[in-house]
Formats: sequence, C-alpha cells, structure tokens
Amino acid sequence: MSQPLTKIEPLYQPVDLDVSPATFSADVEAEIDRHLAKYPVRRSAILPLMFVVQRERGYLDPAGVLYLANRLGLRTTDIWEVATFYSMIYTEPIGKYHIQVCKTLSCKIRGAGAITEHCSRKLGIKPGETTEDGKFSLSEVECLGSCGTAPMFQLNFDYHENLTPEKVDQILDSLP
Amino acid sequence: MSTDLIHISINGKPFEVPKGARLIDVCRDKGFDIPSFCYYSDLALQASCRMCLVRIEKMPKLQTSCTITCTDGMAVTTQSEEIEKAQRAMTEFLLANHPLDCPVCDRGGECELQEMTFDWGGLEERFTEKKNYYAERYLSPMVANDPQRCILCKRCTRVCDEWMGEDAIEAGGRGAHTVIGTYLGWLDCSQCGNCIEVCPTGTLLDGTYRHQTRPWELAQTISTCNFCSDGCQMSLGSRGGELMRVVARDRYVNGLNGEFLCVKGRFAHPFVNHEDRIRTPLIRYKKGGKLIPTTWDEAIRRVAEGLDSVANQHGRNAVGVVGSPRLTNEALYVLHKFATELVGTDNYTTTDAFSLKSFFDNLGSPLATHRDIRYAKTIILIGGEPEELQPLTAKQMRQAVRNGGARLAIINSARIRLVEQATHFIHVRPGSEEAIVLALSDSANDSLAAQKAGIEVAQIDVLRQLIKDGPGDVVFMFGGEMSDAAQAIIARLGSTFNRDDVRFRLHPLPLFNNSIGAHDMGMMERGITAEQLLDSIGSQVKALYVAGGFLPQQLEGRADALSKLDFLVVQELFQNETTEFADVVLPAASYAEIDGTFTNNDGFVQRVRQSILPLHQAKSDWMITAQLAGELGVDFGYEMSASSVFREIGEKVPAYAGLRYPLIKDEQNPVQVKHQIRDEADTQSSLNSVRESVQELPNEGEKNYERREVGHELFKIGTLTDKVPQFHLLASGNPRPETTRVSPLYQITVDAKLKEAVGQ
Amino acid sequence: MQIKAIGCEPLQLRRVHLKNSRTLDVYRANGGYEALKKVLDGMSPDDVINEVKKSALRGRGGAGFPTGMKWSFVPKDSPKPKYVVCNADESEPGTFKDRYLMERDPHMLIEGMLIAAYALSSKTTYIYTRGEYRYLIDIMDVAIEEARAAGLVGNNILGTNFSCEIYTHTGAGAYICGEETALLSSLEGLRGHPRMKPPFPAVSGLYASPTVVNNVETLTAVPDIIKMGGEAYQKLGTEKSGGTKVWSVSGHVNEPGVYELPMGYDDMEKFIMEDCGGMLGGKKLKAVIPGGSSVYIMRASDIIGKDVRMDYEGLVAAGSSVGSGGFIVMDETVDIFESTKNLTEFYKHESCGWCTPCREGTDWLVKVFKRIASGNGRPEDAQLMLDLCDNIEGKSFCPLGDAAAWPIQSAIKRFPEDFRKHLSVNSES
Ligand SMILES: Cc1cc2nc3c(=O)[nH]c(=O)nc-3n(C[C@H](O)[C@H](O)[C@H](O)COP(=O)(O)O)c2cc1C
Ligand code: SF4
Ligand code: FES
Repeated sequence: MSQPLTKIEPLYQPVDLDVSPATFSADVEAEIDRHLAKYPVRRSAILPLMFVVQRERGYLDPAGVLYLANRLGLRTTDIWEVATFYSMIYTEPIGKYHIQVCKTLSCKIRGAGAITEHCSRKLGIKPGETTEDGKFSLSEVECLGSCGTAPMFQLNFDYHENLTPEKVDQILDSLP
Repeated sequence: MSTDLIHISINGKPFEVPKGARLIDVCRDKGFDIPSFCYYSDLALQASCRMCLVRIEKMPKLQTSCTITCTDGMAVTTQSEEIEKAQRAMTEFLLANHPLDCPVCDRGGECELQEMTFDWGGLEERFTEKKNYYAERYLSPMVANDPQRCILCKRCTRVCDEWMGEDAIEAGGRGAHTVIGTYLGWLDCSQCGNCIEVCPTGTLLDGTYRHQTRPWELAQTISTCNFCSDGCQMSLGSRGGELMRVVARDRYVNGLNGEFLCVKGRFAHPFVNHEDRIRTPLIRYKKGGKLIPTTWDEAIRRVAEGLDSVANQHGRNAVGVVGSPRLTNEALYVLHKFATELVGTDNYTTTDAFSLKSFFDNLGSPLATHRDIRYAKTIILIGGEPEELQPLTAKQMRQAVRNGGARLAIINSARIRLVEQATHFIHVRPGSEEAIVLALSDSANDSLAAQKAGIEVAQIDVLRQLIKDGPGDVVFMFGGEMSDAAQAIIARLGSTFNRDDVRFRLHPLPLFNNSIGAHDMGMMERGITAEQLLDSIGSQVKALYVAGGFLPQQLEGRADALSKLDFLVVQELFQNETTEFADVVLPAASYAEIDGTFTNNDGFVQRVRQSILPLHQAKSDWMITAQLAGELGVDFGYEMSASSVFREIGEKVPAYAGLRYPLIKDEQNPVQVKHQIRDEADTQSSLNSVRESVQELPNEGEKNYERREVGHELFKIGTLTDKVPQFHLLASGNPRPETTRVSPLYQITVDAKLKEAVGQ
Repeated sequence: MQIKAIGCEPLQLRRVHLKNSRTLDVYRANGGYEALKKVLDGMSPDDVINEVKKSALRGRGGAGFPTGMKWSFVPKDSPKPKYVVCNADESEPGTFKDRYLMERDPHMLIEGMLIAAYALSSKTTYIYTRGEYRYLIDIMDVAIEEARAAGLVGNNILGTNFSCEIYTHTGAGAYICGEETALLSSLEGLRGHPRMKPPFPAVSGLYASPTVVNNVETLTAVPDIIKMGGEAYQKLGTEKSGGTKVWSVSGHVNEPGVYELPMGYDDMEKFIMEDCGGMLGGKKLKAVIPGGSSVYIMRASDIIGKDVRMDYEGLVAAGSSVGSGGFIVMDETVDIFESTKNLTEFYKHESCGWCTPCREGTDWLVKVFKRIASGNGRPEDAQLMLDLCDNIEGKSFCPLGDAAAWPIQSAIKRFPEDFRKHLSVNSES
C-alpha cells in the first residue's frame, strides 16, 4: 500500500488549563531528547519523561502535564491515565525527602514495623503524610527487592538497608 | 471473515458456523444465553469482566467466549455447575463495591447489572465490609458521573476512542481504585454522550435528564433524528405530553446507528417543549404592527386572501414558496404540490444551503449506506467535515479504518479532525478542493490541479492509485461546499474509473435531516437558491409562503428584502428573523409531534413517529398547507392522515414507487429509495465550468493550518439549540465550574465563574 | 548478607566478589565476551538456539518456560523488526537475585542480551528495570557505554555485520509490569495492563512485532551455555531443568542472601539449616515460602527430614514450586495469619484492576483480613476466604489473580491453627 504523503501527526487535546506548559533548561531538554531517541514511538518515553519532569518540578503539576502532552503528542488525559497507574509518579506535591519503608513480608518479619514507627515518632507524621515544612514524606511501600538486607527503606532513590533505629537517626539527621 | 462453514458442538448439539466466527456471538445466535459486560461487538476486545466464561474441551481453565474464535471440531459447554458458580462469583464480585441503592440510582430499571443480578445474583449478600466510596460529580454539562457504580467494562473509553476518535475519557488509578475520568475531572470533547449510552450501569448519566423521571414511566417512540442528514434512529422518551429524553439504546431501537447518537440528537431535544414555542396563529394587521393571536380559521382565511390577491395583481410567479429541508417528505411533497399545481408558480425552492439537483441528475452509482461505509476498503472524502456535520458518517469511517483496515484519503483545505484517522491527507489551498475533482475526472488536468491546490502531482497519482487498485468497495464522499458542476463530476466518478471488480458508492454530505427528501419531493428542481429568490423580491416576487424560516446567513445583507414583500406567511416553531416581517405566522409542530418520513444521505426513507401530541395549537406542516389549499378551493383529499400523503408520494414520485408506511416500519431494515442511476450523462459543460473556476484560482497562497476545535460546528447556536442552556455553555468553551461535585438530587449549578464565562 | 555458590562452581556468581567486577576490563579478564566472540565467528542463529535448547534452560522469571523453545517460536520470515526485552522488573516479594547480578556483573547481562539478539536477529533490545532500581539503570548505562566504546554494542559489533542496540527503560512502581505482556504495554507508554494471549509476544509483542521477554538470570545464563556447550550446562542440573539457579533467601536465617545452587540440589533442609547459617537466634523453623510470594507456603514438617530436591519437579512434589526462587524463611514467632494478610495486601495493592475477580477479590479479601485482625472474625470467614480464592483462581485475566489466591489457600489448609486463633472456632467447620 502506498505511503501517506503528508505525515499525519496525532493531534492532542489541550484542556483549558489556566497554565502554560512548563519550560526546561537546554540540558534537561537534551536529556529528554536522549530518552525520546530510544524508541520508535514517542509515547514509549512517557515514564522516563515523567521522572524528569518530577525531578525538575517536584511532582506532575498541570504545567508539567501540559508539557508532556505537547512533547509526546498526547492528550492531557492520556498523561493522567498513565501517571495515576504507577505508584512512583506523584500527581500531588510530595516532601523533599520521601522515606519509603518496605512493609512486605520479609521486611515485616525482620522489623519493618519498628522502623516505620520510629520514623513516625521522629518526624511526627503518620505514613502517607508530609511534614509541615514539606521536608519529609513518609510512606509504607511494597517489596523493594531488598529482602535479604531487611529492614530497609528507600529515601528518594537511595536504598538504606539493615536498618536500626540508630541508623535511621544518623541518616535522617545528616540530611541538609 | 471467510464464509466456509466449520462444525462445532455446543452443549452436545452440533452446529455449522462460519469459520472464524466469535464464540460468544455464535452461542447467542444459537440461543445459548451468555452473560457479558465488557464484550461489545465491533469494539476492541477487553476480556476483563470474565462473565462470558465457557468450558472448551481440551483447554485448561474456563475460557472467555468473547475472545475465542470458532475452530473446526470445537466442543463447547456453556452451562454446568462449574460455569454457573464462576458467573455467579463474577456478579458477586461486581456487586461487592457497587452501591445497592438502586431505588435512588438514575439507571434503576434499565441497568444491565440489575438484570444480570436477577439472573446470576446470589440470594444473600456475603460482602459485609465497607464499600469504597467516591463522590458523585459532573464531568461536563451533559455528563454526570457516579464513580462508585462503575464496573470497569470500559465500554465508555472504547467508544470514545474507537467511535469518536477523541480519547477524552479514560481509566485512571489502579486496582480496586480504578475510576473512569479525565485529567482534572472535566470532559473536553464533542459531548456525544455515547459513553452514557453504552454504560451498563448508573455510572455515566445524562446530566440533562438525570433524576427527572423513571425509565418505566416513559413512553418510548422510535423515530428519526431531525438534525443532520445521517438520519440516526432514536427512541423518544415522553411522559405526560413532555419529551423527557432521547436515547438510541438498542433495547428500544436498533437502527443504522446502533447505539450511536451525537450531542444534538441526544441533548438538543428540550427545544420541543420550550416555552417560547409559538402557541397560536398570529396576524400582523398592518405592516410594522404587532403580531396578534388569532384563530386558525381567521389566519387561514387571511393567508388565502393575501396569496390570492398578489397572484391576481402580479401573476402567479409573484408568489414564492419556500420549504425547509428539516420538514418531512410529506410536508415538502404537499408544499411542492401547492406551489406547482395550485399556485402554479416557478418560484419555489428550499432553504437548503446545498442543492443536490445536479448530483442526482448525473448519478452514476448508488448511494453508500452507512453499512457500506463501515465495510468499505477505500474511502475518498472531498471537502466536508463529517465529524462536525454528519457525526455518524465520521464514526463509520473511523471504524472502517480501524476495524476494517480501510484506506481513507482526505482532500481538504483544513486539517479536519478526521485526518487523525486518515491514511492519506491531501492538504489543498483554501477553496481548491474542486481542482482535485477535476484531476480525478481526467489526468490531463493534474499539473493544473496540483499547481492551484499547492500540492505535488505525485499526490494525485497516489490518490488515483488508491481508487484504481485494491479490493473492496470504493466510497466517494463530498461536502456541501462543492459547486453544482463539481457535484455532477463526482456523481460520475464511478464510471470514470470504471472497474467491474469492485463496487463504487457515492455519499453526499448535505446538512439537513431531509435535504435528500427535499430534492426527491421536487423542491430543488427549479435550481434556484433561497438567496436568488430573496434577491428577486420586489422585482418579481411580491409574496412568500415560507414553511420553516430562512437560515440567518441567507438573510445576511438582505434584512430588508422580506420587509419589501406585499405579503409574507411563515410556518415556524419559534419567532425568528423570518417571522419578524411576517403578516401571518402559523404555529408548526416539531418532529416529535408528528408522523412522517425523512430521507437520509443513504437514501433511506425512515419513519418519523408522533411521540407527543402537538403542543398548544400547533399543526403538522403538511396539514396547514392542505388546509390552505382547501381554503383556496382545492381539496387535496388526505383526510388528515400522513399515511395517505405518503401513499400519494408512492404513486407520484418514481424513486418512492410502491412505498407505504407498513413497508418502511422496521428501523432495523431501512428501505433505500430508488434514485435513478444513469449509465450515460454529458458532464462536458460541468467539466468546463469547473475547469474555468479552477483556472481562476490563484497560483500561490497560504494554506490553512489552524486546528479545528472539537465542536466548532456542532456547538454553534442555531434556532433549536439556542433553547438549550447546556449548548450555550458548550458554545462558550465549556468552562469548568468551581465545583463539579453534586449531591445526588442537584443538577449542575451555573456558578459565578460560569455565568461570566457564558456572559449572562 | 551472603552471595555465594554452593554445591557447584559459581557461574552466575563467578565475578561478583572481584574488585571492580562491574568494569569491562575485569569482565573480559575473567572470560567475558568470549561467548559472544564464539557466536559471532561461526555460529548461526539456529546453532545458538539449539545450544540453548540442549541446555534445558528454563526461564528464571517464574513461569519456568523452556527458553530455547520460546526463542524458536519467533517467526524468522516476519518482515517486522524483532525485539529482545530483558525483564528486570524483579518485584516478587522475597526476590532480589536479579538486582545483585546486574549490580555486580552488568556486562554478563549485556553479553547475554547480545547473544539472544543475534539468535533472534534483533537489532533493538530493551532492559525494563523497575523504577525503584534507579541505581541499577545508571550502572547498566555506564556498562553499555563502556561496551559501545569497545565496539561490543552498536553497529558492526566486533567488526562483524551484526549490529545491535541496548537501551535501558525504567518502570515506575507496578509489580504487574513484571508480567511480560503488561511489561510490553508499559514499555509502549500505556497503563501496565496485561494483554490477551494469543497472540503471544513471540509473534506479536512490542509494537506488534515479534518479541522475546526474558528474565535477567535467564539471559545471564546464556554466555556460559555457549561457552561450555548446551549439554555440559544441562548436566550441571537435572535432565528437565539444566544448569544452576540463583536463589534469594530472606527472613529468619542467620545468613540471608543470594545463593547459586545446581538445579536439583538435593536437600532443602540442609540448605536452610547449614548453607544459610541456620535459623536466626536458634529459633524453630515454622514455614518457608520457597518461590517468591506467589507459591504455596510449606510447613516445616514438609521440609525437615523430607530431603526436598530443589528443582521444578522436586518442589512441586513437596507441595510448592520454584517460582522466582525467593526463599522467605519464617520461624515460630511468625503468625501465618499475619504473614498471609501481609501478602494479600501486597496483591491488592498491585492488582492492575483490569479484570473483575482479581480487582474485586483482592480488595474483598484484604477487608476480611482487616476485619478479622481487628477482632471481628467469624467462624465462617475461613470458608469465605477459601471460596473467594476459588472464585479468583483460574478465572482471572492474568496469573496475578492465581498468585493472590495460592498463598491464602495453602496457608489456611496448612496452618489452620493460626487462623483458628483469630476466628476463635475451627476453620474447617
Ligand atoms: C504477576 C506476575 C509478575 C511477574 N513478575 C516478574 C518479574 O518481576 N520478573 C521476571 O523476570 N518475570 C516476572 N514474571 C514472569 C514473566 O511474565 C515472564 O514469564 C518472564 O519474564 C519470562 O522470562 P523467562 O522465560 O526468562 O522467565 C511475572 C509474571 C506474573 C504473572
Ligand atoms: S470480560 Fe470478557 S470475558 Fe467478559 S464478557 Fe467481557 S469480554 Fe467476555
Ligand atoms: S520484602 Fe522488603 S524488600 Fe522485599
């Protein structure tokens, strides 16, 4: 069959958000281009790009969503449906440091509960909450593939394993 | 799907079925009941509800019959303890988090989950835990949403994508917390409401009808839509003389559109019972004076006098007769008869923006039905914008491409939304579509066409190749902007390409529900436009008999034309620009109040049925004309019955020969009228005139790259949609209200932000 | 934490303890990329597939499907591009072997993928790593660039006309994306819902093209298979499942960790009680989940003195299965009701929500568990849970539903006393 002569790009459906799309530095744009270059289909880069936007803007805010929609040639609702499926993508603001204590079996039976409680008491927030100053968020998450070094938590992207309350104090107190 | 038969057995009984048939369809066809939610024919398979489980020999586990295609020797069991347990289990699961307050649910009484529970539900509820809760909300002025009731069959997201090509509504969240919705919870789309239609539960609800009444209180009348020329079949739900809602849900009606309707067909009906309807006949006793209510007898006498005296003074041609393409065939036929036989004037026409005379005079191939379009393999769309003007046609085109692998070539000067589905898009300069028509008729014109349209000759070759090779039906569609001459050429394209291995079909895209009928009844035969008629006011025409108002654009710059008339009589639903100067105004009945027929762009003549009695003193248009004829001393002799008018149409109009109401009563098998197909036709003069007009086009110029917004035509306020508040919200950009939450019994509130946005 | 081989020469773990084991030099100095060389001079794609068939290598991701057979399903004549995708989504509770294989020896995976790509004539390959393993993605990216610089990745690899790209891709927190078809949906930028099978990925996978999805450990086994030859590799293990298997051990043992054992290692009791340093604090063994959370839980009495053979057949015979090889060892202090509740919460959280039984069933089960935990258990609850599991098992769209049902079914059957405690009445009633 003959090929279309005019390249047909999908149209996206911009909703009337009272924001304009986010803008990023040349370096970030370059990083985004590198991700896009990996795939024959733009949409495939949606997760990597979400992490970039999240890193730059703290979470997927409307401006970021609009940026992604334009950049990937999608509708904002397409961004939303994907973003809300994955537990590591935030559509709400989140603390500067996100403490994610693994609560699944191996960690549980090696004392994950105590770690969560310790963090809770130390920060004065329950799992799922963020401190007033927006510095810390605390969550209990499912298995992080660190069962052999339980209990553990992931602080943003860093693993901290074989935890004890003392170790937790050291880690949290050392944070700027 | 091939047609050779294979043998399968269902519950021990042997059957012969077409190879590759879908098991769930086969079972149902053979009378074995299989429950399902997510399965919906002609939509992408989902296999998520797990209701349609069956046992197939030599296969592990139970299988979902919706995903199985029949193979030879397959042995299927649809009923067994194991299967029933599984199906009862799925129903129990679906009900677990589903509120059981059916009495306050708007879908109560027509809910598929209720029906399924009746058949497959348990006697006692084992789920005693707390149900997951989500607040009710509005997604748009038209669409209300109660997420709690969702069973995630995803029919809505699939029709939105596959039928409408809009992808406006999606599933968000994960696991038990998945909800249907949109980003920021506001639905920015063409508001077709098909998601509401296909929703099996009370999750997506008609925001305009919500909590107004109960489905079982509605009298359901199957009728035909009175907006665009696609002629969707619909079910008018009325209660106590009021039209409450319109649906296409196929438990009531199963026409060419299945469960499809567009925003107008579904939501614009409130105009019918609107308080501004003209209630009684009105007379303006002196020019510039007020319209005064009067009796029918008085009004009819006055009209007869008025027309009579003008005819006597200035001759018959001084009386002009105009009919709206929204009227029924019956009304237009009687109007035509009145103009030709009784008045005997040459000055009669329709208010249609688009004359089909030259198209039908040169018709070289049959009209394409919407089914033909769905199964066509090559579709050529020249001009037009079906997704805004003939939404059902657009839906069929999308499915032809997506499900049927059809090749869709779009020739347009604007980047219409359908381009997203197109396999080929030839983007021409504004107004140069006809250049391509010219080229298609004769390749000698290629270079001229390419130059004028601002494209490469190669693009035209590709287009021609599409039509020349490849199997399956070829459908030519064209929009209203085509000139008469161009229409004549398009009407012959079948014979131009002349292949006997495939079928050529034509699909005109006129704007009104009965444009085709208006042509068939002869109202277009004079070949004069409404504009020309208006311009001849004063010089020739002194009196006008108008059934159903001019279009605003026709009166533009001609405002005073009507005021120059000696006598103007208008049949209308509402006061408008035309009635402003009328000497007599007669209250006409809307499509919901009358019997009759419309002829759609498939050439299907379909029934319009009376759902409610005419409001106030309104009368059906043909009756008014007939009564007027009587007053002028001629008895048309219809004994006040539409069927007798149609019988006469069956006798007098060749294309309708032999038709009677009983023959066209079944909306599932619509009847196509027999437009004469000419093997020979001389289009030389048309060719010349098209060539001339193409030659006059500039050699360069900017193309139009602006994006076509969803609804830029659909949401335009017309005389009828003007009466529906929701359309004003849409027309002003569908602004998001401050809060979309609603408590069950409140309709959407037009809050401050909205008011100012709508400019109220 | 321990990383070592027991009862066999370390293959997968050969380099993990070397200094700079991540670097190309160390990898090459220790036999790295020899297999690729061997393949590129002289072996045809079919030769490679045959070796893998002979090796009796079975997928290490959980399904245990014979890898050679899977590869041979890919239609050679298809005009579409072919893809190899490495499944590094490792989210099965109790499983963390892939993590250490990638962290310590990234080039082994790269070599494995290149050989697979050659065998399937694929030019583009992806490593789908779970989003939480961000640091592994960085490690892989560095390694890939190293390899590219050495002409091992990219165009004309080692001067031959074989070209292949390896890209890393990140997940974003969804266990279901470990299921191969869901993984492909996710890789296409969609919600991570599983897809209908057939068509199987081998025929129509990524971008509707032929695709092979393999677990990290499966791919890292390939270089050794090529080097020592299929038979030799198979002989390391049993007839039906060849070679060695890397197990993750967690829970109440003195030396949790990653252990490489020959397939068919003869005694599970010895493995736990000696090789893994015995029970933590000398407590009594109560239960073991041997294959990641998605398999039947085993009672100590089914292990002690039963010399359970550690391979697919052996574990099935013992009433469980290999799964992803994640040992979760539990001592007498563990309440099996609690542990089962914990896992059920995991499955509820990870259910993708596509199909009815899994979505609603896991939600319902968690609610029942919570009610019982809050002291409002009812005698009939055990029966209810078993029935709900039965209604999920075999009816769900993908195996996650079954995976959610099995732990509960086995736990209630094998540890009735722990449930009875909470239901205050005999649960078999
Ligand atoms: C719910 C579910 C989760 C899975 N998670 C993983 C996983 O995390 N890693 C993995 O390699 N395979 C996982 N699998 C198995 C994959 O579906 C697939 O069988 C495997 O990746 C194939 O590779 P293999 O043949 O090398 O094992 C999972 C399967 C299911 C049903
Ligand atoms: S989920 Fe499937 S299984 Fe069920 S009816 Fe829908 S399509 Fe069939
Ligand atoms: S269970 Fe905690 S990391 Fe695996």
